[in-house]
Amino acid sequence: MKKYLRITFTIAIVIAAVFAGRWVWTDYMHTPWTRDGRIRADIVTVAADVSGWVTALNVKDGQAVKKGQLLFSVDNKRYQAALEKAKANTESALLTWELAKHKYNRRVALNTQKAISEEDLELTRINRNIAKASYDLAKTEQDLAQLNVDRTEVVAPVSGQIINLNLRQGNYIAQGVSVFAIVKSDSFYVTGYFEETKIPLIHENQQAKIALLSGGKQLTGHVVSVGKAIANTNTQSNSQLLPQVQQTFNWVRLSQRIPVDIQLDELPQDTQLSAGMTATIHLATQ
Amino acid sequence: MMQAVVLGGMAFSPLVIYIPIAFLLSALTRFTLHRLDWHDRLWKVAWFEVSLFVCYFALTVYLLSGR
Repeated sequence: MKKYLRITFTIAIVIAAVFAGRWVWTDYMHTPWTRDGRIRADIVTVAADVSGWVTALNVKDGQAVKKGQLLFSVDNKRYQAALEKAKANTESALLTWELAKHKYNRRVALNTQKAISEEDLELTRINRNIAKASYDLAKTEQDLAQLNVDRTEVVAPVSGQIINLNLRQGNYIAQGVSVFAIVKSDSFYVTGYFEETKIPLIHENQQAKIALLSGGKQLTGHVVSVGKAIANTNTQSNSQLLPQVQQTFNWVRLSQRIPVDIQLDELPQDTQLSAGMTATIHLATQ
Repeated sequence: MMQAVVLGGMAFSPLVIYIPIAFLLSALTRFTLHRLDWHDRLWKVAWFEVSLFVCYFALTVYLLSGR
């Protein structure tokens, strides 16, 4: 009897170990979790729409800015002169149009008295229309010149925090070249890079628990999208347009990582988030 | 949840902590069994100890992963 009890006890522990081991394996390998999560944010790059010297820099690196706040000004002398020129052109075109209208109206009266030919009347009518078109063109050019003057004052496109500001007063900046970036306020989200084997377990609106590598309180969120494409290196070509096919091992394959975007629910007050931080993500399973 | 274990700025799998804890618990059990002289009463001690380690390991994962 005692012998059977000994055997039964050991076998019970072995059976328990089989179930426990299976549970750990399933939990580690087949639940949607990853340690490869990154905090991300909406980054808006700031560039001037006109070229010129920076005459005033109103912000510092790391400063919080509101949408519409003046960031820096570009020397506007050239654009102001262009605006004055455009205004003069518009005035001139307006007068030319009025003169052409006057000439046409006079010739309409003359034509009724058969004092001028039909051709002469038609010529003045076309001249009046040309003058009108020239006036419209001059007005549009004035609007463009005004836009250039307005764009010499660069304002914040979004509320957020200035990042990587290396611009200094006196620098010459080119049109359309980004000079710094703004991290948009409250735009933080998390991207988890999940192994492709776990993707079938992930769906939209799935609840997520997020633990930052830096510690602190656990964050919560929910899945908003599962990435529908990642780059395939085998589709690249060399300079002769030959496909660059990567070698692989016969026995071992690394599963691809698919990005899954997670929107954060309310953030705890004392949580410091920076885009690029590492996080562990665990998605709820049914 | 399973979290990364940070040591000197490097992130390790949490198993780095869980496995030593399970090993310590197994060693403690083994020591206790020896002290009480119950070791001889077990059938296939090696099977028992390995299985116990796995059970301890699963228990550690369950308790420490904050479920």
